Amino acid sequence: MTLWLMAGLLFTPLAWAVLTLLTDFSRGRLVTWGGILVQVLVSLGLWLTVARDGGFHYGLGGWQAPLGIELRVDGLAVTFVLLTAVVASACGLHAGVYIDPDKPWHRYFWPLFWFLWSGLNVVWLGGDLFNLYVGLELISLSAVGLVALGGKANALRASLRYLLAALLGSLVYLLGVALMYGQFGTLSIAGVVSWLGVHPVPAGSGLALALMVTGLALKTALFPLHRWLPPAHGIARSPVSALLSALVVKASFYMAARLWLELGEPLGNLAAAQLVGLLGSAAVVWGSWLACRQPQLKQVVAYSSVAQIGYLFLLFPLTYSVSESVSLQAQQGITLQVISHALAKAAMFLAAGNLILSAGSNRVDALTGVSRFLPFSLFSFGLAGVSLMSLPPTGGFAAKWLLLQASLGSGQWWWILVMLIGGLLSAAYVFRIYRASFLESAGPDRFYHPARSLEVIPMILALLALGLGLASDQVLSVMALPFEEGGSP
Amino acid sequence: MMSPASVLALLAVALPLLYPAMALNAGWVRAMRFALPLLPLPALVLAVGADPGWQLELPWLLNGGLWAMDELRRLFLLLTAVLWTVAGIYAAGYLKAHHLRRFCVFWGLTLAGNLGLTVAVDIGSFYSLFALMTFAGYGLVVHEGTDEATHAGRVYLIMAVLGEMAILAGLLLASVAADSQMLADLPRAIAGSPRRDLIIALLIAGFGVKAGLPLLHFWLPLAHPVAPTPASAVLSGAMIKAGLLGWLVTLPFGEAALPGWGALMIVAGAVGAIGAAVLGVRQQQPKTVLAYSSISQMGLIVLMVGAAMADSERAPVLFSIIALYALHHGLAKGSLFLSAGITLPSGAMRRAAVWLLIALPGLSLAGLPFTSGALAKLAMKESLLEERLEFAVAGYLSPLMVAGAVATLLLVLRYLWTLNGKIETGRNPPMLVTGWLASVGVSLVAFWWMPWEVEGLVKSPEWLPAGYQLWALAWPMLIAVALAAVALLASRLVRQRSLQ
Amino acid sequence: MTLNAWIPVFALMTSLIASLVIFALPEKGYRLRTWVNLGAALVKLSLVVVMVWGVFQGVEYGLSFTMVPGVTFVLKADALSMMFAGLSAVLWLLTTIYAVGYLEDSPNRSRFFGFFSLCVASTMGIALAGNLFTFFLFYEMLTLSTYPLVVHRGTEKALRAGRTYVIYTLTGGAVLLLAIAWLHGVAGDLPFREGGHFMDADPDIHRSLILIFILLVAGLGVKAAIFPLHGWLPQAMVAPAPVSALLHAVAVVKAGAFGIVRVVYDIYGVEASSALGVLEPLAWLAAFTILYGSFRALSQTDLKRRLAFSTVSQVSYIILGISLFGPVAAAGGLVHLLHQGIMKITLFFCAGNYAETLGIHRIDEMDGAGRRMPGTSVAFTIGAFGMIGAPPLAGFITKWTMGSGALAANMDWVIVVLLSSSLLNAAYFLPVMHRLWFREPAGSWPEERHWGRLETSAWLFWPPLLTAVMTVMVGVLASLPFSPLSWAELIALREYSP
Repeated sequence: MTLWLMAGLLFTPLAWAVLTLLTDFSRGRLVTWGGILVQVLVSLGLWLTVARDGGFHYGLGGWQAPLGIELRVDGLAVTFVLLTAVVASACGLHAGVYIDPDKPWHRYFWPLFWFLWSGLNVVWLGGDLFNLYVGLELISLSAVGLVALGGKANALRASLRYLLAALLGSLVYLLGVALMYGQFGTLSIAGVVSWLGVHPVPAGSGLALALMVTGLALKTALFPLHRWLPPAHGIARSPVSALLSALVVKASFYMAARLWLELGEPLGNLAAAQLVGLLGSAAVVWGSWLACRQPQLKQVVAYSSVAQIGYLFLLFPLTYSVSESVSLQAQQGITLQVISHALAKAAMFLAAGNLILSAGSNRVDALTGVSRFLPFSLFSFGLAGVSLMSLPPTGGFAAKWLLLQASLGSGQWWWILVMLIGGLLSAAYVFRIYRASFLESAGPDRFYHPARSLEVIPMILALLALGLGLASDQVLSVMALPFEEGGSP
Repeated sequence: MMSPASVLALLAVALPLLYPAMALNAGWVRAMRFALPLLPLPALVLAVGADPGWQLELPWLLNGGLWAMDELRRLFLLLTAVLWTVAGIYAAGYLKAHHLRRFCVFWGLTLAGNLGLTVAVDIGSFYSLFALMTFAGYGLVVHEGTDEATHAGRVYLIMAVLGEMAILAGLLLASVAADSQMLADLPRAIAGSPRRDLIIALLIAGFGVKAGLPLLHFWLPLAHPVAPTPASAVLSGAMIKAGLLGWLVTLPFGEAALPGWGALMIVAGAVGAIGAAVLGVRQQQPKTVLAYSSISQMGLIVLMVGAAMADSERAPVLFSIIALYALHHGLAKGSLFLSAGITLPSGAMRRAAVWLLIALPGLSLAGLPFTSGALAKLAMKESLLEERLEFAVAGYLSPLMVAGAVATLLLVLRYLWTLNGKIETGRNPPMLVTGWLASVGVSLVAFWWMPWEVEGLVKSPEWLPAGYQLWALAWPMLIAVALAAVALLASRLVRQRSLQ
Repeated sequence: MTLNAWIPVFALMTSLIASLVIFALPEKGYRLRTWVNLGAALVKLSLVVVMVWGVFQGVEYGLSFTMVPGVTFVLKADALSMMFAGLSAVLWLLTTIYAVGYLEDSPNRSRFFGFFSLCVASTMGIALAGNLFTFFLFYEMLTLSTYPLVVHRGTEKALRAGRTYVIYTLTGGAVLLLAIAWLHGVAGDLPFREGGHFMDADPDIHRSLILIFILLVAGLGVKAAIFPLHGWLPQAMVAPAPVSALLHAVAVVKAGAFGIVRVVYDIYGVEASSALGVLEPLAWLAAFTILYGSFRALSQTDLKRRLAFSTVSQVSYIILGISLFGPVAAAGGLVHLLHQGIMKITLFFCAGNYAETLGIHRIDEMDGAGRRMPGTSVAFTIGAFGMIGAPPLAGFITKWTMGSGALAANMDWVIVVLLSSSLLNAAYFLPVMHRLWFREPAGSWPEERHWGRLETSAWLFWPPLLTAVMTVMVGVLASLPFSPLSWAELIALREYSP
């Protein structure tokens, strides 16, 4: 059973990527629907398996580490797999309607979409540094391709910039990986940890970790390395932006977080942890501030991503040399933040896409009167905004609560201020959009009304983000499941 | 099972309280006009027919309600009901169609408050009904809508609100001290409270606004002339007595001798009695003169209140005399006010008769023998004899009373004089005349059958006055007449001088 | 789980579901929307009645589950929550009726009623919340759901007001969150409990507790419009009348005041608060706000703004009442939670009626309106006299009870505050009464509309009259069982002898 699930999970995306390469956009859409169904079922099945039996190591094709491809199927990973399935299928379904099938280059959307998905799954499950790298590259390249689908000159410019940033990030990361291999002779994270268990920490190994984290931070667009993100996310088609913001940046962060949690304690130091936290805080404040000042709707959302990503990096200081329980709180908080931001941001980008489609303009002021004629899309946008403002009962709030508790518990009260200020600033940019849309304009309905299916999808995502807060304990309990070392068939 | 008296008591308050609902239908305005005299009837029946002692428990009301009637309250209730009845008859003839419904609404509410507060024994309903009377009374004062009326209304309202606040504070302090919501428990608690003087001051001042205590009286001479005549009558005859009743039921009479407060009240009463006369004789408007007369008369009553405060032994006796005086003054003053609105018939005999009927209640105020005034004045004089009272300023009371009597008659003469200048000849609406005649009749005749009880006084005009008493009553009146004559001559002289 | 666990959830859900249904209804579905609104309001009211009876009998209603690790989501019905829930259920029904009439033929009704129901659901949640965390959850939901109502008109002015509102309330919310999180860190997950939790708190955490208390009050004080955090309230007056009515009478300001009651009584415990020395400063602050609000109200020329400052003043009565140490004063403060709601909603309904029927917004336009609109004006008069504290109306019961309590607690200065406030109330309400009844109208009304037999639309006419009758009734019948006063005394008794 597990074999089938794993195989389905990893190979259907690749198979569908190849399949859709052969079709045009409309037929690709039909094919994709089937693929989405398979993926969702498989992801759900895997999640249920893990939720019932606990996690396990999985050697792909029967080969065990250190030779083969080693997968780590734990509660966290399957949760993210499921999240990916939800968000990606939502974006895929939305894109099927949203993207104009007549432009010839749009037929490449589906293969890129599937490559991206398979890359994501690899990253969530990957157990060794090199596999993770491969998955990450797969993601980066397909993401760049997706951005370039925007077609116009500035879309190409943005995607080029994205590509450069991604490559630079990969290089730095690879450098770190190479150093690591030189020192420990293994690429498996578990292997490094067990090596460190018996040997003293070699000098300079902190550098390897720092390089890897830096590379990944660049890919995650951590302040001040965020400059590539807003143009890319802003210019891409809305479902693409949703994918990028919701999942792609999370992949590189996920890797950084795993590295830090496994290796941070032996290899890292306090200053570094605080520095990362500080950069994250700067991202929160600066990103939100810029989001308040953007004239274009999607730029607002894109800068909001920069800010929200900043929160994620609070993981570093809040897990370094603190008590077990505080560290757990921080990890739980960050996990919730990843999930809720993924759901909310996807919802927001998709809703923003609908609004832009209706208003015929990307500008915030073009929204005047929209609440009267397009309440539904606006409502999805608004609900997603609630999660971004981390107001209760959303997942964003649950995340913030846990991070607050972790900050209090570790005595690092300064992060509290960051979170409070960040929350207020995010309210400022979210309410800016509300405000614009509530302005009454005289005159009749001049808006284009998008198809109902386009409107429903972001609403579902936004409701999920909202409900996450209420169910966060259940979600997090899967993470806490016993992990069966050694693997199972 | 509720006794008939308590049903009647509920009805007495509920009827005028609900009567304003008639205003919802514009077609009932005529019915409203003629219902005015009927409103106090249940109260009248209650006051005349029911013996004191009944109780009505209303546990759901405010902080637990209790209505009851004792001898004191019975007299006040009678006064209130009678006066509002005759004024109601008068009003039915007096009122013009303009804003009639509004006037009737406020009439009903004020009446409900005034009647209710006399039977309320718990603090909550007493204060509620008192406030209802106060605030609804504003509607009567400003009814005419002239600038003077508005101004008078503003002064009335400001002082009334301040008074209400003082009362509220006083009652609150007293109620907490007594740990009770009943008025009857207050005097003892106040007497024993460490905040005794504060509470007394608040209550004296608060009720004093209504009772026209000097320096708290400013609204009276403003409000009376501008209010419609029947309203002035009840304002001066009945509502002013509500303040007095407030004192009587809350202040610690008979619980502790308070010579300081007594002296203060006596001073205040003296200032009121004489000062109001000094100001009043210089007024041009008949109703303003009457307003000052009311202040002056209340000053005399305040003398007795002061004496009762100072001498706790004599308080019960003084109470019955105060009640008698209040009854007498209310009826007479009501009648005088009502006479301010009538016109004279054309025949000389009839004119003389009307003048006589106008003047008689006035002279009664001054203590004309064979009137209620003579009775009241003598009783007062009797009770305030120096040798019977035991406190420092008791010796000044007799001369003060004489001065008060002089002042009273001077004001009445001044009233007649100014009225003579204003009164017109013409026909009166029949209801108006009926109301006025009824008021005169009540003041001069029916008074003798009313249930006042004073030790040593008999309910019959024949008893009065014995020779020595005649003189006691007459000489202040003679002084007043002489003074008035001098004043008249003087003014003639001055006028002739200026003509030359 | 038993049915009793679910009744609070149902009560919450009625308006939540109504809101979702209304959002889904098309703008033109006027009749259906009205029915959904009224039906949900009635169902909620009956559920609340059931719970009130049950709580009186000592039945436990409630459910809880872990929401975020370490914190539980608790819904619970106790005497205090029933007070607030009852208020919101009754006034929601009336306000819905009123709003249907008020918004006749105006755009965006679907949106309005959707958020309106959401707002009531939040209020219900606030009432039934069983710990601070759950309270906060609904508290913020309230902020969000009222924003669209405040800016409903969509004018520049409305949006500006909405902005101020949001800045104030979200900042307050952030401070509150900080305080709650801190408290959670210090003492763990604390359910609301009569008598509180800190009766014998470790002296080491006293300092933290005091600081947390200050933060809590600051956070809650924004909605309760305590000076100097009241600035949003008068501005929010641009909202449609039913919204102002709801904001002032039930939802927003009361949520703040209710929160403070919860903190003092059910988290800290009144004795512990008193021992920590935080009650007396709170009382002074409340007293100052009472006088300040009244002073500001004096100089307002716009009717609704005058009412707004009156609210600033009146809400602090609640806080003053609970911060005086003693059961009688507590009952006085608590009962004002209801009394102020009933009276203020009457006044706002009436203000709305004047605006809708005659186009009157400023006080100097009100001359003679009593003759044109006697029903509304009678209601307004009753409401205003209630505010002044004239007996036997609702406000008098508050003042009398609170005054008695203050004297019993040996805080005589409170009497001065109460009386001065009454005087100021009289000073700004009585002139309005005078204009209504005793001035002649200036000619034509700014913008008159006719409805036939009644002075205004029947939807607008009856709600203020009903609340006016209630203003009289809760005062006159204060000693009946289940009257607000009796209920408040019950709560105070349970708090002071847990």
